[in-house]
Amino acid sequence: MNPTAPRVLVIDDEAQIRRFLDIGLRAEGYQVLLAATGQEGLGLAATQSPDVVVLDIGLPDMEGHDVLREIRTWSEVPVLMLSVRDSETEKVRALDHGANDYVTKPFGIQELMARLRVLLRQGAKGGQADAPVRYDDGSLVIDLARREVLLDGAPVALTRKEFAVLSLLVRHPGRVVSQQQILREVWGATHTQDTHYLRIVMGKLRLKLGDDPSTPRWLKTEPGVGYRFPAA
Amino acid sequence: MTDDRDARANALLSAAREEDGQRLKVFLGAAPGVGKTFAMLSAARDLKRQGIDVVVGLVETHGRADTAALLEGLEVLPTRPVRYAGRDFREFDLEAALLRRPAVLLVDELAHTNLPGGRHTRRWQDIAELLDADIEVYTALNVQHLESLNDQIRRITGVAVRETVPDAFLDRARDIVLVDLPPRELIGRLKQGKVYVPETAAVALDAYFSPTNLAALRELAVETVASHVDSDLREHMLARGDAMPVRRRCMAAIDGQGQSEYLVRITRRIAERRGAPWSVVFVDRGGLDAERRERVDSAMRLARRLGGEGVILRGHAVADELLAWADREGVGQIIVGRTRERPIARRLGFSLTQQLLRRGAHLELTIVATPAERARARRRLRFKDGNGSRREYAFATGATAIAMALSFVADRFLSVANLSLIFLTAVLVVAVRTRMAVAVYTALLCFLGYNFFFAPPRYTLAIANADDVLAVILFLVVALVCSRLATRLAGQVTSLRAGQVRARALVALGQQLATSADADSIRKAGAAALARALSIEIAMLARDVSGHLKVVNSVPDAFALSTQDLAAADWCEGHAEPAGRYTDTLHAASCWMLPLGAEHQHAGVVALRFPLGTREPDADGRSLAMAMVQDIGQALDRARLAHELEGARVQGETERLRSALLSSVSHDLRSPLASMIGSAGTLLSYDAQLPANERHELLQAILGEGQRLDRYIQNLLDMTRLGHGTLQLHRDWVDAGEIVAAAVSRMHKLFPEVRIDVHLPAETVLLHVHPALIEQALFNILENAGRFTPPEEPIRVTVRSEAGRLLVDVADRGPGIPEDERARIFDMFYSVTRGDRGGKGTGLGLAICRGMIGAHGGSVEALPHAGGGTTIRVSLPLPPPPAENA
Repeated sequence: MNPTAPRVLVIDDEAQIRRFLDIGLRAEGYQVLLAATGQEGLGLAATQSPDVVVLDIGLPDMEGHDVLREIRTWSEVPVLMLSVRDSETEKVRALDHGANDYVTKPFGIQELMARLRVLLRQGAKGGQADAPVRYDDGSLVIDLARREVLLDGAPVALTRKEFAVLSLLVRHPGRVVSQQQILREVWGATHTQDTHYLRIVMGKLRLKLGDDPSTPRWLKTEPGVGYRFPAA
Repeated sequence: MTDDRDARANALLSAAREEDGQRLKVFLGAAPGVGKTFAMLSAARDLKRQGIDVVVGLVETHGRADTAALLEGLEVLPTRPVRYAGRDFREFDLEAALLRRPAVLLVDELAHTNLPGGRHTRRWQDIAELLDADIEVYTALNVQHLESLNDQIRRITGVAVRETVPDAFLDRARDIVLVDLPPRELIGRLKQGKVYVPETAAVALDAYFSPTNLAALRELAVETVASHVDSDLREHMLARGDAMPVRRRCMAAIDGQGQSEYLVRITRRIAERRGAPWSVVFVDRGGLDAERRERVDSAMRLARRLGGEGVILRGHAVADELLAWADREGVGQIIVGRTRERPIARRLGFSLTQQLLRRGAHLELTIVATPAERARARRRLRFKDGNGSRREYAFATGATAIAMALSFVADRFLSVANLSLIFLTAVLVVAVRTRMAVAVYTALLCFLGYNFFFAPPRYTLAIANADDVLAVILFLVVALVCSRLATRLAGQVTSLRAGQVRARALVALGQQLATSADADSIRKAGAAALARALSIEIAMLARDVSGHLKVVNSVPDAFALSTQDLAAADWCEGHAEPAGRYTDTLHAASCWMLPLGAEHQHAGVVALRFPLGTREPDADGRSLAMAMVQDIGQALDRARLAHELEGARVQGETERLRSALLSSVSHDLRSPLASMIGSAGTLLSYDAQLPANERHELLQAILGEGQRLDRYIQNLLDMTRLGHGTLQLHRDWVDAGEIVAAAVSRMHKLFPEVRIDVHLPAETVLLHVHPALIEQALFNILENAGRFTPPEEPIRVTVRSEAGRLLVDVADRGPGIPEDERARIFDMFYSVTRGDRGGKGTGLGLAICRGMIGAHGGSVEALPHAGGGTTIRVSLPLPPPPAENA
């Protein structure tokens, strides 16, 4: 095994899931560390310095949330949570506690791989501090430093709130940003429940960017959780 | 007094009616000493002999041996010791009586006023509470204590009785027993010292117990009993369905002068005789001074105590308002006092009485005169407001002086006739600013100045020509007209302003309440609005889990309540009546307590704390507070109902789903498992022999069936949650377009071969729903449509808002559904018995869809699609749009 390949730590109590993740991840060329309990996972995370952690929310010995919080006290390693459907509040809670993204069980291996790639790419750049200040996919250009948005070469006039929401999403490419986080950072801590503000701004943003709301290209909805902007 | 009337009353009374409800028996006498207590105790002994649980709560024997002897063998409750003004008293113990709960309780002296520290200020309130607790009460009362007879008694005996009992309370009595003693015998007992009389009344004793007085009082007592019987009879006939003449309402119009309370009492008596409901109406034209306002207030309070209704109308034209209200409320008789009529108005036919007479021809009009009050009112008017008047007169004098100074200057350039205009201006200025008397004073002063200094012959008061006479008249007319107009305008402005303050406060409250969905935010918004509107401290009290009233919200945040306050709040909530400060119940509390809901509803209480030193909030403030509290109560009620309704809706969907669950589980869980097990087994056994494409096919089958199983389990989970009634709606604001897009993108992922055309409205449409449930419902519809629509035909999804509802149409080009089956596709049994016909359907999708949409107050229906196929239409209520902050 290539010792320079990224290390993935998988913490999940289901043997079958650990097994197929092990096979799939190794096939993709990663080094794999496996843990069946939260304690074991914490030990491996501390001693083996993984590049990314895949963490199940439900563990036998301790809550996935607690493992996450523990890790966050001493490490900024990207964490991908595994959660079940219908637990939007769990997902939002995990994101608020510092998880970087999540996938919903049951998931396809390709979906998981795509998320891991995004996390590893950003992890390698050292996290959010060096987040890109410029997005350019040939059609849409967003320059955060110059506060400029161009659609097919034409400048798009955004209100202050619209720009603030857009730039927050652009600074987390490929990753979900929870609606609470957006509300907190753009509207302030007292407005985390006022989701209607966000819906209206999001509608206007899509209109201005010409993003078809039924199949959005840039402003993707994660129902009940938040929004995701694609990686360039 | 006529004997046959007496006999009729007693005969009717002795035939006690059997009836449910509150049982109060009042022993009514014409004067102290007629033997009420004696009669009451004798009745109690009879009951005791019959084995009924009779207890004496309080009886005053006044040291009479024959009365005390009757007490023997009866259980007597201990009294409550009270120390007041350095002396010890013993009071009736309401708590002990409520605790003991006898079948019948004796409490003497209905009109007694409790010493401070008790729960109520008056004993009749204690008794009302006993009756509410289903305890039968025997009590005694002298006729002079009856509220409506108060005036009459004073006229007859010359003694003003301060302790009165509301007539409405006496109306609750099932029986009134007249304890009668001929006047001569009573006087005899008095002389033998057998009648106890309070020391204070001893002076007036001889006058009071004169044979004429006693005869008159006796007449009143008999009349009271007779009218009680009359009203009983009327009710009895009504209950039996016998035709009764339509009872037209009696209405008293009061003006807040001294005779208002007198008018209220008269009206009550008239209405009582006719058996008609009655109201006391005051038309507020604004500009009321505090004294008059207080008098209107107390008249309204009296009306309510006597069982009438108090109404305040706003408007300028008194007659118009009165007649409009009378027509609206079915009034048959108007009772007015003789108003202080202006002689000119009367001459011209504009006085209120004349207007009522002319325009209210269909009404009976009663005019009541009280000359003494009239004269007093007039005197008071003349001498009131000394300070303000002095300032006004100084202003008038100053204005005249300035006019005079100007005239001296202008005298050099202008003709004498024009100088009068300068004086006229002064009169005008004063008239628009002050009262009429001051304006007239100015007019006279100006005329004197003008006449003396300027009008020829100068420096005399002689009037030489007709022009100057005209000047006097002109000055006076201007003064009168202008000051009248200005006074009226000022009054209207004040009244308008008061009305506006009230309207604004109520509108602001309404807006806040409309955006508050749950009880907590309603209480919060309500407390804030009340505190702002009245500039006072407010606390909202509600019961906690242990059943104690606690402050849940207050302005300011710290709000301490004493035990007195809590007791008042408790009483207020239990009886759904105001309590605490400014009321008759537990008035030692620091707050005025207003109930938020009906009796036994446990909706909570609002505590209003006015700043120290406030004597009593005025009528406007009080009625505003009550209106606002009522609004808050209604909002709480609405929230509670909405909550229950949502629960009921979820519950209703439950039963539909549960029944077919089992039959579906065996079929739909096993079939994907069968193909997965089969495919995996085949791979395991024949791996080497299989060509690559077949191996791939089997693996695809395992993957596809696994996903199908996942969806099915999702359905089962949803159903179980609906079925257990544990489906909790976590509502959030969402863009309808986003939800549709999420369902569509999930379809794309699972069924890439199905084409979907989506048409969303241009603007953002916000829903307040549980997003995951609606997305699941839409996904189920799409999945269903995907199974039926031919591969080359796209599914059309159209979203639009229409008449306060969001409509989502999902149209497929499938074979369509026959009309008679269209309603049934949402039926669990229909889907399940259809079995495999629809391909890989789980058979539960549409039923769950209906359950989830239904739990949000929406509906789903199947419509035929023009040109073949089916349109499934989801309709969801749209909430009022929230405030923007973008």
